[in-house]
Amino acid sequence: MRVLVIDPDSARAALVAEGLEGDDRPDVRRTARFDAAEVAAYAPDVIVVACDCADRDTLESLREADETNPRPVVMFADRSEPGLAEQAVRAGVAAYIVDGLAPARVRPILEVAMTRFALMQQLRGDLAKAKANLESRKVVDRAKGLLMKERGLDEEAAYRLLRKLAMDKGRPIGAVAADLLSFAGLLKGDGA
Amino acid sequence: MSKLALGFIPLTDCAPLVVAQARGLFAEEGLSVTLSREASWATIRDKVAVGALDAAHMLAPMALATTIGARCEPTPMIAPLALAANGAAVTLSQPVASALSFAEPTPQAIGRALARHVRERAGQGKPALTFAVVFPFSIHNYALRYWLAEAGLDPDRDVRIVVTPPPRMVDQLRTGEVDGISVGAPWNTVAVNEGLGRIALRTSNFWRGGPDKVLGLTGAAAEADPARLAALLRALVRAQAWADAPANRAELIALLAEPRHVGAAPSAIAAALDDELVFLRGEVAVPRLEHARWLLAQMRRWGQVDHRVDPGLVADQVYRPDLALEALRALDLAPAMLTPPNLLFDGQGFEA
Repeated sequence: MRVLVIDPDSARAALVAEGLEGDDRPDVRRTARFDAAEVAAYAPDVIVVACDCADRDTLESLREADETNPRPVVMFADRSEPGLAEQAVRAGVAAYIVDGLAPARVRPILEVAMTRFALMQQLRGDLAKAKANLESRKVVDRAKGLLMKERGLDEEAAYRLLRKLAMDKGRPIGAVAADLLSFAGLLKGDGA
Repeated sequence: MSKLALGFIPLTDCAPLVVAQARGLFAEEGLSVTLSREASWATIRDKVAVGALDAAHMLAPMALATTIGARCEPTPMIAPLALAANGAAVTLSQPVASALSFAEPTPQAIGRALARHVRERAGQGKPALTFAVVFPFSIHNYALRYWLAEAGLDPDRDVRIVVTPPPRMVDQLRTGEVDGISVGAPWNTVAVNEGLGRIALRTSNFWRGGPDKVLGLTGAAAEADPARLAALLRALVRAQAWADAPANRAELIALLAEPRHVGAAPSAIAAALDDELVFLRGEVAVPRLEHARWLLAQMRRWGQVDHRVDPGLVADQVYRPDLALEALRALDLAPAMLTPPNLLFDGQGFEA
């Protein structure tokens, strides 16, 4: 079985392809954009496409476009698999099967794709969180430096003061540090 | 606050949604709305069908085709509001446009010149011209096909019609992948401004005030909360009235030009708004049953739906002028009476 993965997000496409190359080893190819000649040459049995890929409309109209060389492609939204199409759309994945392939054979493929899409979203979320944490640590360090300079505190005392402020206000220490820095900037006349 | 997720495609006529959000009109109607910019019409259709979107900016024929289940799982949809009229056009590539000669730039004369050119090319053994449309079920596809057929061409044999996402059409005209595009604003103007082509047929010349986009949602979602739908329609009608007002033009253009909305040059967005595109004026916001019947007749004509489909029944089920009129009346914007829709450029009506 040949599976074509179309996804403008190459990292996510790689993750999906990796997930599909499992036990029954379908042949998987991935591409960022739909190309009619490429699809015709590869002749996939299943096409998995990201919902945020603009090429979906082109793909869906293949039957109409190529009357001379019909390559019937239908959306996998078969009634024999209730709820699957809905889950896939919510996960951001759509799939098309080329006529002749039993819809049941697509289910595991679509499930892998959905899982991998969710995994990618989680990885990206974690990365954004890590970046935000790093950013907050930098802000705390700068606020500490400011307190050390303006109040003549040592580093530990400056940190204790920030932590107390955060606890008193019930806000994250990064937010309190950022406020402190912006007020200090305001008093110095920055950006006012 | 009632929460709603609404989808749109980056086109000038998504304005009612974008304006209602930016100017707080949804909030004033008690709605907390999230706008979601979508990459393809198929995704709009699927997300609305499964409820991942509560409603969307939708091609008018899509609401009809999805209800019938033409090339998709059937899901009963309704179109309770038309979002805009006019603004779409067919643009021919510079090489093709230069090869045509005609006395008057009327749709008929340009069509006949194009037909002569197509036959000449065939006689010389050159490949057929390729035209890109936005979706199989779109006024862009039907206007192009009607116009070609009227000029004596068979759209399925004499030319090749492909589907291309709107933001990618200008590129394809540049690379020569396609010889003509049939798309909504602002993409024709973008192509013309870049010197890539000339506009051959505006849908406003083809059918002044004809159907283009509607608000589409499932019949089930509409029935589940009629009060919420009424609030949504009022917010959109107020946005349409705001978008039509010349005094708001500059603000509207700036809003649409933002990358999170249409993401095109302000000058390109301005063109269609200045020339022809209207959102509410007159009776534009009322989805007309005659329009739906004509669109369904085109689907049958081009073999997209079974001949057993009854255009009258489907039109009555999907198109809901009553809901648009109710919103217009609530805002004192209802027309005193509905006039018969305009005829097509060739003087034809549209009895299905």
